[in-house]
Amino acid sequence: MSEDADCTLVRRCREGDRRACGELVLRYQKPVYNAALRLLRNPDDARDVAQTAFMKVFEHLADYDPRYKFYSWIYRIAVNEALDTLGSRKSFEEIPDDAADEAAGPDRLLEGEQTTRAIEDALSRIKPELRSVIVLRHFMHLSYQDMSDILQLPEKTVKSRLYDARQLLRSALLQRGTVSHG
Amino acid sequence: MADPGRLALIHEEIDGELDAAGRAELARWLLADPEGHALRDDLRRLCTALDSVPAVEPPEQLRGSILAALPHTYTERRRSWTPGWRYAALIAGVVAAGAVVLQTVRGPGPAQSDVTGTMSAPVPALVDTVQLAGGPVSGRVSLYRESSRLGLKFDLVASSPVDVVVTAGGHSVQVSGLGATEQKVTPPTTVVLAGFPTEVQTVDLAFLMGGRQVGTARLRGSGGR
Repeated sequence: MSEDADCTLVRRCREGDRRACGELVLRYQKPVYNAALRLLRNPDDARDVAQTAFMKVFEHLADYDPRYKFYSWIYRIAVNEALDTLGSRKSFEEIPDDAADEAAGPDRLLEGEQTTRAIEDALSRIKPELRSVIVLRHFMHLSYQDMSDILQLPEKTVKSRLYDARQLLRSALLQRGTVSHG
Repeated sequence: MADPGRLALIHEEIDGELDAAGRAELARWLLADPEGHALRDDLRRLCTALDSVPAVEPPEQLRGSILAALPHTYTERRRSWTPGWRYAALIAGVVAAGAVVLQTVRGPGPAQSDVTGTMSAPVPALVDTVQLAGGPVSGRVSLYRESSRLGLKFDLVASSPVDVVVTAGGHSVQVSGLGATEQKVTPPTTVVLAGFPTEVQTVDLAFLMGGRQVGTARLRGSGGR
C-alpha cells in the first residue's frame, strides 16, 4: 500500500469526499477482513468486525496523525476489535505449552486445502495474543516494527510471542503431519 | 532444544530481519549442529505453509454496507450535518422541485403534488428501520411518524439510481432516483407519505433498477405493533 496515496485519500475523506472514503475501503477491506477472519475463524463475525473497524476509522479520522502509517492505524483498530470479539467468546481449546517436546509426526506433507484447514485449526487453538502476531506476520506480511506499532508492544515482546506461537503451531502441525520433519 | 538466543537467530533469518553478523553466527552454529539445522528446516516449512494460506475475498456487500453507514458517522460529523428531520423540509422542497420524481403507480393515492410535504416540529418518532445488505442495493430505510403523517427516510447505496415503490394501506407511490453511487454523492432522502393512512400494519418496499425489481423489504407500521 502506498503511504502517499493513503495520505491523499485520508485528506480527501476529511474534507467530506465520499468517493475517497470508498477508495480507502476498497484498498483495505481485504486485509482487514482477512485479519479478522483468521483471528475469529467466523465469516459473519469477521464481516461485522471489518465493518465496525471501518466505522471507527471514519469516525475518528480527524484524530489520525498523518506522521504515522495509515495502515498501522487501521490494522490496530481492526485487530483490537477482533480481539475484543474473541475475548467475549472465551472458548478456544488451548494447545499445551509443552506440546512442542512431544511432537513426532509422520514424514509427509499435506497440501492445499488440507494444509489451510490444519493451519486454521491449529491457529484457533492458540491464545489470541499469539494468534494475532501470526496473523500480522504471515497473513499480512508485516515487519517486526510494524507489528510492534500495531500491537503497541515492544518489538522484543512481539518477537517472543511470534517465536512461541510458531513453536506451538509447529508441534500441532507436526502431530497432524502438515509439516514434516526434515 | 536450541537455546533461546540461537532460536531467535533462526526466526529472524526466516523473517529476513537478521543482519550480516547474525547470519554468520547462525551459519557457524548450524554447520556444527545437525539438530539445529533440522529445526530451522522445520520452521522454514512451517512459515512457508503459513505464508501460503490464501487470502479470502471479503463479502461483496461489505464495502456497500460500510459506505451506506457513512452518512450516519463520519461524513455527517465532519460536515456538521444534523441527521433526520431538520432537513426534511429542505429535502422535501428539493423533491417538490423535481429532483426526485414521484409517480403514483396504483391505488387511491393522492395527486402527485400532494405526495410530498414538510415535516417540521413536533419531532417525528422512529417507527421501524430495515437494513439492506447482500444485494445490489444496500443501506437502510426508516419509517417515521409525525402526528398525522408517515415519512420514509432512504439512505441507499447502489451502482445506479434506484426507484422504490412504496405500498401501504392500499396506497402506492414510486420514489425515483434514490441512492448514492460512486459518481454521485447524495444525502439521505426523506419523503412524506402524504395521503397514506398513519395506522398501517406494514409498509412494503420494492426496489427497482433499470425498471427491474431487484429486491423487496417490509417495515412494520405503528398499526402492526
